[in-house]
Amino acid sequence: MNEAADKIILEARAISKRYPGTLALDEVTLRVYRNRVNVLMGENGAGKSTLMRILAGVENADTGELLLDGAPIRIRSPREAAALGISIVHQELSVLPNLDIGENIFAGREPVKAAIFLDRPTEDLRSAQALTRLRKPMNVRIRSAQLSLGCRQIVEIARTLDQGARVLILDEPTSALSTTEADSLFAVMQDLKRSGVTIVYISHRLHELLHLGDWFTVLRSGCVVGHAPRIEVSRNWIVERMSGRRAAEATEPRPSLAGAPTLLEAAALSLGPAGADEAFQSPLHDVSFNLRRSEILGIYGLLGAGKTELLESLAGARRLLHGSVVVKGVRARVSSVADAAKHGIVLVPEDRQRDGLIPELSIRENIAIGALRGMWISRARQTAEASRLAKELNVVAADLDLPVTSLSGGNQQKVLIARCLMRNPALLLLDEPTRGVDVVAKTEIHDLLRRLAAQGIGILFASAEIEETRALADRVLVLCQGRISAEFSRNEITDDALFAAASPVVNTESIPFWGAQLP
Amino acid sequence: MTSAARTQHPSNRVAQLAVRSLLFVLRARAAFVLIALLVLFSALAPSFLTANNLAILSKHVAISAILAMGMTFVVLTGGIDLSVGSLAGLGGMVAGFLLTQGIVLAGAVRYPPVAVVIVATLAVCLVVGFLNGWLVARAGVAPFIATLGTLYIARGAALLISEGRTFPNLAGQAARGNTGFPLLGQSSFLRIPLPVWIMLALFALAWTIAVKTPLGRHVYAVGGNERAARLAGIQVSRVKVFAYLVSSLCAGLVGLIIASQLEAAHPATGESFELNAIAAVVLGGTSLMGGRGSISGSLLGAFVIGVLSDGLVMLGVSEFWQMVIKGTVIVLAVAVDQLQTRLQGSFLLRLQSADGEGRG
Repeated sequence: MNEAADKIILEARAISKRYPGTLALDEVTLRVYRNRVNVLMGENGAGKSTLMRILAGVENADTGELLLDGAPIRIRSPREAAALGISIVHQELSVLPNLDIGENIFAGREPVKAAIFLDRPTEDLRSAQALTRLRKPMNVRIRSAQLSLGCRQIVEIARTLDQGARVLILDEPTSALSTTEADSLFAVMQDLKRSGVTIVYISHRLHELLHLGDWFTVLRSGCVVGHAPRIEVSRNWIVERMSGRRAAEATEPRPSLAGAPTLLEAAALSLGPAGADEAFQSPLHDVSFNLRRSEILGIYGLLGAGKTELLESLAGARRLLHGSVVVKGVRARVSSVADAAKHGIVLVPEDRQRDGLIPELSIRENIAIGALRGMWISRARQTAEASRLAKELNVVAADLDLPVTSLSGGNQQKVLIARCLMRNPALLLLDEPTRGVDVVAKTEIHDLLRRLAAQGIGILFASAEIEETRALADRVLVLCQGRISAEFSRNEITDDALFAAASPVVNTESIPFWGAQLP
Repeated sequence: MTSAARTQHPSNRVAQLAVRSLLFVLRARAAFVLIALLVLFSALAPSFLTANNLAILSKHVAISAILAMGMTFVVLTGGIDLSVGSLAGLGGMVAGFLLTQGIVLAGAVRYPPVAVVIVATLAVCLVVGFLNGWLVARAGVAPFIATLGTLYIARGAALLISEGRTFPNLAGQAARGNTGFPLLGQSSFLRIPLPVWIMLALFALAWTIAVKTPLGRHVYAVGGNERAARLAGIQVSRVKVFAYLVSSLCAGLVGLIIASQLEAAHPATGESFELNAIAAVVLGGTSLMGGRGSISGSLLGAFVIGVLSDGLVMLGVSEFWQMVIKGTVIVLAVAVDQLQTRLQGSFLLRLQSADGEGRG
């Protein structure tokens, strides 16, 4: 084994993974360096989480091989991965809320005495030891539903430590954490690194990455587009590779909005914690902004920044703690979706399958359901209107009476937009307007939104994609941890500025610079 | 007194104490309701607390408690088992058939001994339980539908065995070497009926499994968050199959006990028992969403339902009113459960934020 190979503890070689409709990973090779913080970056849907799920045994690769310490390995289940010393802390925390801390740390691998009985004292002792190692001693008998997100994360890390993890994968560990919690996580990571644990770290947050990372790998659309040690990496290097320099969409110059009347005035919108799960997180703080007629306003932010919450509260799907919404000069009560629709505010939700489509109904019915009023369904009117919209939006379907599930993602998205248009909106809200949509449909949807704006509708969209935000928005608000952190007009938008404003500022003094000891 | 406590306003502490005690009452509500019912009925019906009556009562309770304890495992995983009543009927009919008709072996009719009859009956029930578990865990059928299906299948099978007739005279004949079956439901030990002993033994076993073994904890984990449980390496399918097996085993036992008590097997035995069992489980504080609840709670729940129905009978309340009252109690129990969850959640939240302020 030569010296270079010795530095690599884990290697994923030429991994491909295909999901129905998309190639999530295309011959991806990832090298994980021993006793380093290996950072993996990429926009949503770039394939980061898929790759990590393959390393952790949650999913299997279609092709490619994994090597641990230079020897090929097969990982078919999380259990096998853990046995090899590879553990993952998932993006969506997988703590069992109804069990206590000790029970969670040992879930699925409980120590026993007399062959069948749980060995609670051992569990408690080892749990306490793992938590102490993480400098976060907690009462191990506390039910985890009562823990803050940061503490739940610590519980998961404690679990991997007790399993004897040599490679610890953290999938966007800070996306839901408060700044203090994130800071203490960084200290934990430093301790772990010192004690010989290799870390694979996935995150969007630039500030922290540049301080934490030793090696950087950037994924875009399922391919590795950059791999370099810290010393060669700058913020520009990362942003360029993440956003890509694909040909910008050919767009006509946007008409000037000077003199356009104000459509929406939102003042001091705040949300309380939505549930016990978000006990310490307030998703929205005092967000204020205006929107003019015919304006396309973008909201850019990372996962968990509060974009969805903002749109949902405007659309009446969440109850505001306080704040006021004024539409066309009239104070609007948006305590329910029906209220919001009365004022002309409608939302195209982020998750089509969960919050949008009704799979049992046909394309036509899915469009027309937006306009159903009164006692009877007027089939003739409904049909005519739905057909007109389907045609206008270029919904590609053999027959509008086919089930909506027969459509591609892009056409399903158009169906949802058509449904919103049935309600004659004054303000159209779109959460991730082109998520899971192919390139052609994406351009079509962007053009459609511009056309709608030209007709006088206000468009407010949220996106975590820099490219889309840049291409579509007349003006951008950047949300960061529930607050507006920056505002850019169309000609001020740059990748770098957007990204910087969206990354929460961590107290960098508190993160010791680890100095990349490079090969 | 800690510094955090000192910084709190006294009235705040009083309010906290009030909420805490209210939460305690809500959590232990099955026990409180049981005590209240016992006091009420013994005051209204003087014969209620006699040894004789309590023996009858405990036998009734044993039936629904055994079913409820089995059902608890299923409900804890987030499922439901509607087939237990039918399965009890099927179990009784299998036992009745073997005791009275025997089996044809090598051209001659043989009568298996009682022990074999019991084992064979339980085995048949376990097969149905495995089918339930397989349908839910492997085939992905919703528990409600899967067990609704086996409810009909088991009831149909029970009717088919005798073409709808009753098997009488299960006492067996000395000449056939299959006497002794009635002992199961009718004998007593230390003046306590055998079914009650069975219930107690099952309780000890079920409680131990639920609280003291990895398997039991996996049951809670699966009900708490199935995805997370799978990611933790828990074999979710196996855990679910186990739960349905336990439930069906309990159903088989109940079928045997009833057939033994009556010395007859009737194919309609156990109709709507599943609803009683679910009611007991819910009354005992187990969440139908899974992950939360206890075996002892279900035992208490079974006592509440048993005492309630027997007490109402003794008071001469009409059967129709009994149903109305029972239904009301069940609905109230679930409503109170929701109240408790919400109260607990908001209380914890406030405690945490108060905690945070104290620290800051």
